[in-house]
Order: sequence, then C-alpha cells, then structure tokens
Amino acid sequence: MATGLLLRAPRRLLAAAGGAGRAALSLQHQQRRNKKLWLRAYLEQERLRAPVTRRSEKPNWDYHAEIQAFSHRLHETFSLDLLKTAFVNSCYIKSEEARRQELGLDKEAVALNLQDNHKLSEQGLSLSRSYLTQCFEDAYPKMPSEGIRALVDFLTSQELVSYVARNLAIQDLTLCAEFPVPPSVLQQTFFAVIGALFESSGPQKTGIFIRDFLIPQLIGKDLFEIWDVTNPMGLLVEELAKRNMSAPEPRLTRQSGASTVLPLYFVGLYCDKKLIAEGPGETVLAAEEEAARVALRKLYGYTENRQPWDYSKPREGWRAEKAISST
Amino acid sequence: APTPCTQILHSGSRISLSELPGATWGEHTCTLTPSVRGYIEEKVLDFAKQNPGIVVYVTPQKCRSPTVVAEYLNGAVREEIIADRTVAEITQLVQKLANQSGLEIIRIRKPFHTDNPSIQGQWHPFTNKPSALPIRSLRRLEQQPNKV
Repeated sequence: MATGLLLRAPRRLLAAAGGAGRAALSLQHQQRRNKKLWLRAYLEQERLRAPVTRRSEKPNWDYHAEIQAFSHRLHETFSLDLLKTAFVNSCYIKSEEARRQELGLDKEAVALNLQDNHKLSEQGLSLSRSYLTQCFEDAYPKMPSEGIRALVDFLTSQELVSYVARNLAIQDLTLCAEFPVPPSVLQQTFFAVIGALFESSGPQKTGIFIRDFLIPQLIGKDLFEIWDVTNPMGLLVEELAKRNMSAPEPRLTRQSGASTVLPLYFVGLYCDKKLIAEGPGETVLAAEEEAARVALRKLYGYTENRQPWDYSKPREGWRAEKAISST
Repeated sequence: APTPCTQILHSGSRISLSELPGATWGEHTCTLTPSVRGYIEEKVLDFAKQNPGIVVYVTPQKCRSPTVVAEYLNGAVREEIIADRTVAEITQLVQKLANQSGLEIIRIRKPFHTDNPSIQGQWHPFTNKPSALPIRSLRRLEQQPNKV
C-alpha cells in the first residue's frame, strides 16, 4: 500500500506542477506564497518513505486514557489491571529487561513487575473455540465435525484474528518488541483480551463479543473456500450412505462449446433417478467434482441462500466452565 | 483489494461502535483565535464526556494555524483547520468527525449493498432451458408417430 502511495501522491503533485508551468504562460497567475509544488511532492515522498513507527512513539499518547477509551468504545466493562496484563507480551518483557541491563541498572531495577498474557490468551482461545463450535453445531446440525472444526480454525486463524485486532486498534495498545506487530502476537493479544473480558464481565458478555466480531467475517465466504476437501465425491458417497440414499449417478445434462477453447459442461448427480445437484466445469471431470461440492453444500445446509446469522438473541446454554475445566 | 463495504470491520449487532480512537487539537499559542479558545474553554470537556470512547488531546504546539487531527481505528488520519470557524461550527465539525468511520471519502458507486444477492440461484444462460438428457415418454411418441 505504501509503495503505491509513494508513486501516486507525489506524481499527482509533479504533474500539476508541470501543467501549471505551461499554463502560467497563457494565464497570468497570481503570486502564491505557499511551498512550491515540486517541494511539496518531494516532502510527501520523504514522509511516505520514513519508517513506520509505533503510535506510542508519536506525540499525544496517554496509555491509561487509551485503555479506558478502548473499553468504552467496545461498550464493555473491563477490569483495567487485567486488560493491561492482556496487552503485555513476553517478547516485550524480554526486550525491556535486556535494554535496562544494557543501560547498567541493578538487578532489582531490571526485573519488570509485569505479568505475561499467555494464561489469559490460552483461556481466551479455548473459550472462543468452544463457543464457536457450539454456535455452529446449533446453526448447522447436518454439518460433520471436520467441517465445523475447519470453520472454527478459519475464524481463529492468524490472518483473520490479526485483521480484526488491527481494526480495533489493538496493535496500537500492544506492548511488543517488534513493530509492525507480527500476526501471531496480535492473535495472542486478541485472545488475551477475550480472556480478560471473561474474567471481568462473565461468560455471556464474552460470548456476545466473540459472536459480534468473529462471526461476521464469514459473510461472503463459501464453505469450500474455508474447508479444504480433496475428494468431494468420496465424501458425498459417504454422506449419502449415512442417510441411506443410493450412490449418485453422474450424467451430462448440458454442454456448450465442446470443441472450443472455453468448453462448458454441466454434470447432474442423480440419486434414485432424482436430481440432487448440478455443477458446471470446463472439463467433464471438473464439472462432476463441482456437482459433488454443490450436493455437499446442499446436504450440510451451507448454501449461499441460507438464512443469515441471527444476532438478536444471545446464546443460551453455553457452558463456559466446561471450556476452562478442559484446559 | 477489499471492496469498500468490507473495509469497515464487520460487527454484529453491536450498537454504534465508534470508529475514532483519538482526536488531537494542536494550536500555536500565538495564532490562537478567540473561537478556538472559546471552544477549548467551554465545549471540549462536554464532547470528551459524551464520547468516552474517544481520547481527546489538547496540546499547544508550534504550527501555522489551529487544527483538529482525527485518527480512526482503521489507520486513516484527517486534519482540519479550525482557524476561521466559530465555536458552533467547530462543535459541529468535531461531531461530524466523531460520527465518521475512517473510510476514504470518495464517490459511492451504488447506494445499496446486499450480502445475499440471489435467493433462488443466480441466472445463467442455461437456467430454465431443457436439459440435454433425452427424456423419453411413450405418450409423446404415440401423439407424433412421425417424430423419432
């Protein structure tokens, strides 16, 4: 993103400078006392080339106030000590102690009285996983456990959780040795925040928080983008056997442009001479695989036109104590 | 690249997740206009109390003119000069900045969006066309004995 900006903004200014230079000959421009256009382009480029720094190193930063604002912004009450502990990472403690030792302080001064966030993080992770698994088991009862596990893994994966954390300004509040904060550390910090929320506000509020921030990330995603299935036809045969339906028979239903560079085949899968799914593809085998995937989506109830997620009622019956006792 | 509608962090039914973590006022002690001074004396505290999710910093610094800098959760930063505005205009401006999300202000291509664009399945040229599978029915053959 920064390299794109590096070219766009100064180039626009330079192009404007070139255009204005030519136009000034025809129109008598009034004297402008601001900085010259080429100088502004150069300064903009220098500003974009400067290394990224932490928000805490820039002016106007009050950590305590920022933490309070964080809890107010999320409409949640946190106990501030727990929240501050949740943002402290072990790499930060190590780097700080190393820096203090280099500066030559005594051993008592070197030791920071800061607790790590790994306990809170593990608690948060197990809570989230159990809550999300419960949610999906209720919403998609026909989905097998591997599918639900794939969905939960996707929602607790590093990229997704670090994206959510970055957009909640958790990156600014994290205490970490490196900047920009690596996604694994952001993931740990996010789950530590969830752990701190559980300790402060209880299981129901934590469940609502997890639901509100992680489940909307599934919008627009297809099941097999998240769950990697290598043999959909085999899986479909197993599923149909479980439901006491006969094996599917693939038949070519439609085709177009077989001898062109973009052929299109539609393969339909028939169980007891009834069509269960139809899928398109460039070759007949690809179309058959796609038809198997469509059939699986229909069987598991994860089609594109399913009911959207219901955010109105909080989940009842989630036993959070089970999740903690299992860790 | 993410589409504009997915650039805001989706959140469920959470009411008014304000997207503004920090607002800074910087003013040069010499160019402090009376309206800015009036705003700082009267209105800033009310604004800070009403929006506990926004951290407000008021700092005197060496700069050409008094500005308001708004930093958003998604990293966008907006700076507005408040030198030639009245107290009421400044309050309105700050409220507007607080209500905005950090998205870039560009032309919105279409004023509608849906996450479920198709319920019965999106149309493609083969929808509602008879399939290539030959479906034989004896009645049709009886009615039209010439057709095979």
